[in-house]
Amino acid sequence: MDQNSLHRARNRALGIAHGVGLFLAMLVICLPGIWIVLSSLRPTVEIMAKPPVWIPRELSLDAYVAMFSGIGKGGIPVLDYFRNSLIISVTSTVIAIVIGMAGGYAFARYRFRAKSAMFLGLMLTRTVPGIALSLPLFFVFARLGIIDTHFGLILVYVALNVPFTIWLIDGFFRQVPKDLAEAAQIDGCTRWQAFWQVEFPLAGPGIASAGIFAFLTSWNEFALASQLTRSINSKTLPVGLLDYTAEFTIDWRGMCALAVVMIIPALTLTFIVQKHLVGGLTSGAVKG
Amino acid sequence: MKGWRPSPPLLLLLPAVIVLAAVVVLPLLLSLYSSFTPFRLTKPETLWVFIGARNYVNLLTNGDFWIAFARTVVLLTVALNLEMLIGLGLALLVEKASRGQRILRTIMMFPMMFSPILVGFQFKFMFNDNIGLVNNALQALGLTDRAIPWLIDGNLAFIAILTAEIWSSTSVFAILILAGLLAMPREPVEAARVDGCTPWQTFRYVTWPFIMPFAFIAMTIRSLDVARAYDIVKIMTDGGPAGRTELVWTLVARTAYSDARMGLANAMAYFSILLSILFTVYFYRKLAAARTQIAAEW
Repeated sequence: MDQNSLHRARNRALGIAHGVGLFLAMLVICLPGIWIVLSSLRPTVEIMAKPPVWIPRELSLDAYVAMFSGIGKGGIPVLDYFRNSLIISVTSTVIAIVIGMAGGYAFARYRFRAKSAMFLGLMLTRTVPGIALSLPLFFVFARLGIIDTHFGLILVYVALNVPFTIWLIDGFFRQVPKDLAEAAQIDGCTRWQAFWQVEFPLAGPGIASAGIFAFLTSWNEFALASQLTRSINSKTLPVGLLDYTAEFTIDWRGMCALAVVMIIPALTLTFIVQKHLVGGLTSGAVKG
Repeated sequence: MKGWRPSPPLLLLLPAVIVLAAVVVLPLLLSLYSSFTPFRLTKPETLWVFIGARNYVNLLTNGDFWIAFARTVVLLTVALNLEMLIGLGLALLVEKASRGQRILRTIMMFPMMFSPILVGFQFKFMFNDNIGLVNNALQALGLTDRAIPWLIDGNLAFIAILTAEIWSSTSVFAILILAGLLAMPREPVEAARVDGCTPWQTFRYVTWPFIMPFAFIAMTIRSLDVARAYDIVKIMTDGGPAGRTELVWTLVARTAYSDARMGLANAMAYFSILLSILFTVYFYRKLAAARTQIAAEW
């Protein structure tokens, strides 16, 4: 074999290895999700079967029907949980975005004393583990009587989301050239007008994706919600998921169905933002 | 009246500072105080008894706590390193792909959307000794004929939790490192090739320094949220059986809410906060250093 064909053979082998590696990696990433969806559609008998049934013989939406049909029929109050999750996540996201926009703008456009210390300080408030924070909050909220209310959880999620929102929005405002706003100001805009008419529209998509990220954080949060909620008044979906394990037997199929209900909004939203999200996180990386 | 006017950035940051002070800083001060008391939820008056550092002394001499603490540190160290390596590998694989990069990137983001509690549940399901996918597959392939007690044996449960942790967080690394690879200028790599570098040398001395800041961004983001492992462990094993998978966070939750010993739990929580802060500050400084280095070279 001459060198040329040897080289070609090696390249082809590498190409195949690359394809196989890529396929395996994607399989590992997708498999758990696919398995959950599949299990939610199969009868419990098949999930429990020994030896296992790999190819489902019948698919049905029974689990979803049971889940949404109320407490009496073996379901859990999913609709209530869903409503709570939605109200809490949306409200806290909107507030966090407003606060984050102000903060992010300050970091992107102004120089002030102790700027980087301030930034790190804000980030550090985010590092406090939810469960550690839940101890004093549980006590304070119990005293204030806002445990198991939407308000309490919204307040907590705003605080949870503000630091990261500031980070992201800071990045997006940095991507908007300073000259644009300055030009607008020379043309007679006030700084306020220049912000709303020039900088805000340009940073808009980025801010929207920061919002979706905040929404997902609230939507998925468990450690704090599990301690600060008690009943259908304010329980969110992640806490509701544990309703299935509270008994002696686990209703695998029901849990899978609820998992699917939880993941669909998150899935849709993430697909929308994926492009901007990465841009916002990395924009500061190279430029400093 | 021309009085003192606060500067614009201060005014803009004020709402953020107020919210964070009210919801995070003040409660943490309260919990710092209560960590010096024998506070129990069932006996509110114990909040006013000051016992000095006795809770901390108790903790320092408590073997169970140190085991849980060490287990947490080991879990985080192993998980973060593996996530970084696998994420790097994944990013390189995807970057090399000639077709379908968009769809590959989308699939890569998939685990990010899963709430940690869902990740925990799905791996609890898959690692179930009786009906789990993993055991079923192993048995179907004839690799073993017994049910491996994944979530019951301490070491195996650690591996199961590690798997869940890595599955859920590798994509953060992969996505950000991929962003770095795509943003990288082509010339230095080509110049290195022309100068006769091997692929490994090109990667080590040209590509890696460039994507390093991106890796550290991922590390920083990830370390902000290390405590999400709590959610995963909570649903997979809840620290059990018999404390064999107990992490600092599950121990805090158990001490505070099951045993109602808030004071002690708060002292414990401070260790976990310190742990998170250490991780974050460490990576943040690395990030800052990497940024200035890149700015100087490119």
